[in-house]
Amino acid sequence: MSLLWLKLAVLLYGLAALAVLPAALYDRPRWRHIAIPATVAAVLFHFVSLAEMLVAAHHRLPVETHELQSLFALLLAIAFLAIYDRFRTLALGIFVLPLAFLLGVLAAFRPGHEELLPLRTGWIFLHIALLLAAYAALLVSLLASLLYLVQERRLKSRTHSISWLPALGTPLEVLDQIALKSLLFGLPCMTGGLLIGSWIAQQTMGSQYFLDPKILLAFAMWVAYCIMIFIRRHSGLRGRRAVYLSSFVFLVVLTVWAANQFSAVHRFTTP
Amino acid sequence: MTENRPNQPTEIKPAPKPRVEAGASLVLLGINHTTAPIEVRERLAIAPADLAQATRTLLRHPGIREGLIVSTCNRIEILTTQDPKDSAGTDPQANLPRFLEEYFSVPASTFTPHLYEFREQDAVRHLFRVASSLDSMVVGEPQILGQVKESYAAAREVGAVSTTLEGLLQRAFTVAKRVRTETEIGSSSVSIASVAVDLARKIFGSLNGKTVLLVGAGKMSELAARHLIQHGAANILVANRTQARAEHIAAEFLSSNCTTAIIPWDQLHDQAGRADIVITSTGSPEKIFFRSHGQQLLQRRRNRPMFFIDIAVPRDVDPHMNQVEGCFVYDIDDLQQVAQANLADRSREAAEAESIVSREVDKYQKRLSARDAVPAILALQQNAEQVREAELTRTLTKLASTGLTPAQQTAIEALTRSLTAKLLHPQLVALRKSAASEEDER
Repeated sequence: MSLLWLKLAVLLYGLAALAVLPAALYDRPRWRHIAIPATVAAVLFHFVSLAEMLVAAHHRLPVETHELQSLFALLLAIAFLAIYDRFRTLALGIFVLPLAFLLGVLAAFRPGHEELLPLRTGWIFLHIALLLAAYAALLVSLLASLLYLVQERRLKSRTHSISWLPALGTPLEVLDQIALKSLLFGLPCMTGGLLIGSWIAQQTMGSQYFLDPKILLAFAMWVAYCIMIFIRRHSGLRGRRAVYLSSFVFLVVLTVWAANQFSAVHRFTTP
Repeated sequence: MTENRPNQPTEIKPAPKPRVEAGASLVLLGINHTTAPIEVRERLAIAPADLAQATRTLLRHPGIREGLIVSTCNRIEILTTQDPKDSAGTDPQANLPRFLEEYFSVPASTFTPHLYEFREQDAVRHLFRVASSLDSMVVGEPQILGQVKESYAAAREVGAVSTTLEGLLQRAFTVAKRVRTETEIGSSSVSIASVAVDLARKIFGSLNGKTVLLVGAGKMSELAARHLIQHGAANILVANRTQARAEHIAAEFLSSNCTTAIIPWDQLHDQAGRADIVITSTGSPEKIFFRSHGQQLLQRRRNRPMFFIDIAVPRDVDPHMNQVEGCFVYDIDDLQQVAQANLADRSREAAEAESIVSREVDKYQKRLSARDAVPAILALQQNAEQVREAELTRTLTKLASTGLTPAQQTAIEALTRSLTAKLLHPQLVALRKSAASEEDER
C-alpha cells in the first residue's frame, strides 16, 4: 500500500513541477493555485507512504538507497513549502519540485529491498533524517545562491525585461535570506546527525570505526560547513563567490555520500 | 503614443431601436486625449467636488432619465439613458452638447468637432474599455477605475443612477477587475519614478526602513524619492554642494513620513554607504562616483547591495561601477528603456484584455435581452393565472351541490395549476429563446 501512496505523491510532484514554471517565471496566480495545493497533497501522501512503510517494517529499517532518496525528496518538498510560507516565493520550486519528482520516481518505480540493521532503529533513523535534512538545507542554500546569481545578472544587464535570462519575482535580499537561513537550519541538523551517528558507532563498533576514511570525510564535511557559515555571516558573502563556496561544500557532501558505496563500516545496500 | 481603439466614434445619428429600457436609449458622449487637445479638454473639466452638482444639472435636461459624468485630465464623458418621449419637444440628440455648452459656458463650436458619441452596444463597449484602462493614455494605468467609481458615487448621491446604469456600471467594474486579474496589463511600471521603485523592490524586496540618499537636486529625483517613501523607505539623506540648498530639500521631506539628515558634501563618499538607494541628479560635468567608490562602499556595507539611480546628464555615476558585485547602476536611459519595454508588454496584454471586453459586452447584451423578455413572460403568466382562477371558481360553484370534500377541492386546484404550468411551458421557453436569438442576430 505504501508504494501506491508514493506513486500518487510522485504524480502530484510532477504536476506541481510543471505548474510551478509559469507560476514562478511569469507570475501567473492560476498556476500557483495548482502548484502549492499539489505539493501539499504530494507531501501528505508521501508522508503516509513513509509512515506505512515504517509501521509495516516493525523493527526493520529501510536503508536501501532509493528509500533514502525518497525521504530526501520529502524533505526537499517540505523545505519548498516552508520557504513559500515564510517568503512567499516559488522560485526554488523550479529546481526543487522536479528533483523531488525524480527522486520519488526512482523510489516508487524501482523499489529496492529492505535490510535488517543490527542497531537501535529509532536512533539510527534520527541520524539519517537529521543528516538528510542538513543535505536538503545545503542544497536549498546552493539553489538560492544560484537564483541570486541569475537575478543579479538580470538586474545588472539593465535591460532585464528583454534579457534571455528567466524572470524571477523574488528579490535579491529574499534569496540571500533563504540561502543564509537554510544554512543556519542545516548546521544543528548536521551536528546532531553526526553526534548521534558517532554515539551509535562508539556503542556498537568501538573507536576503530572513526578511523574509516568515510567517517573522517564526514567530519571534514562538518568543518567545511561551519567555515562556510562563518564566512557568509562574517563578510556578508553573496553572489558569485557565495555560489562557489556553497558548491564546494556541496561537492564535499556528494563525496561523503558517494563514499558510502566504498566504506568498510558505513554503507547502504545497493538497489 | 498610439491607442488601441477598435470601436470608432459614430456620427451623431438617430437612435436605433431602444435596447435599454422600454423607450430609453443608452448614449455616451465625450471627448478625450485622442480627439481633443488640452486647450479644449481643460475648458470642459469638472473638479471631483463639483461632479454631483454637474450631474444634477445634467438630469434637469429634458429626456434624460439617468446620467453619469466622468471627468479626468484626459477625458470628459457623459453617459446617459434618454427617453425621446420625455424630451418635451426638444431634439434629444442635442441634449448632451447643449448641456456642455450651458454648463461650461463654452460655445458649441469649440468642442463639437472633437466630440464622439456611442450608442447602445457601442456605448457599453466604450464604458468597459474606459473602466478597464484600455482607452487610457497609458494603457493599464490603475487610476481610471477609481475615477469612474468616484463619478458613480457622485451620480448615486444625486439619484442619477437607476436600474440601467446601476447594472451597467456594476458590470463595468467587474469587467475591469477581470481584465486586471486575468491579464498582466497593469503589472509593470511605465514611469521613471515607478520603474525606480520597481527595481529597488527587485533588489531589496520590502523597502521598509530603507535609506535613500539624494545627491544634488532635481524634480525627477525628488519624485523618485517620494515614490520610494510611499513604498516604505524611512530615511532621507541629502547631499548638496550648497548647504542651504541641502537644507531646503531636506525641509521639503519633513512633512513626509520619514526622517531626514544632511550629509556635508566633503563627506559624501564616506557616508554614502549609509544609504541603500542613491539618487544622483547634480549638474556636475565630472563624475561623482567611480568604480573604486563602489568597491569601498560595498566593503563598508559588508556586501549589502546598493542601488544607484543616476538621473543626471552628464552622468554622475561611472557606469563601470555596475561591474562591482552588489552595485546596481541605472542611468536615465536605462530607466527609460525599462519603462518602454514594460509599455510594450502592456500593449501585448491589451489584445487579450480587448477580447475579454468583447466577450463581456456580448454577455451583457444577452442578459439585457433576457431582461427584455421578462415583462412579456410576466404578462403571460398573470393572464393564465386569471383564467385559471376564474375557471376554477366557476367549476367549484357548479360542483358545490355535489358536496365535494376539501381533499377533492384541493386535488382539482392542483390539477388546474399543473395544467396551466404545462401549457405555458413551451411558450415561455420560446419567448426566452426568441429574445436570445434576436440578440444573436444583432
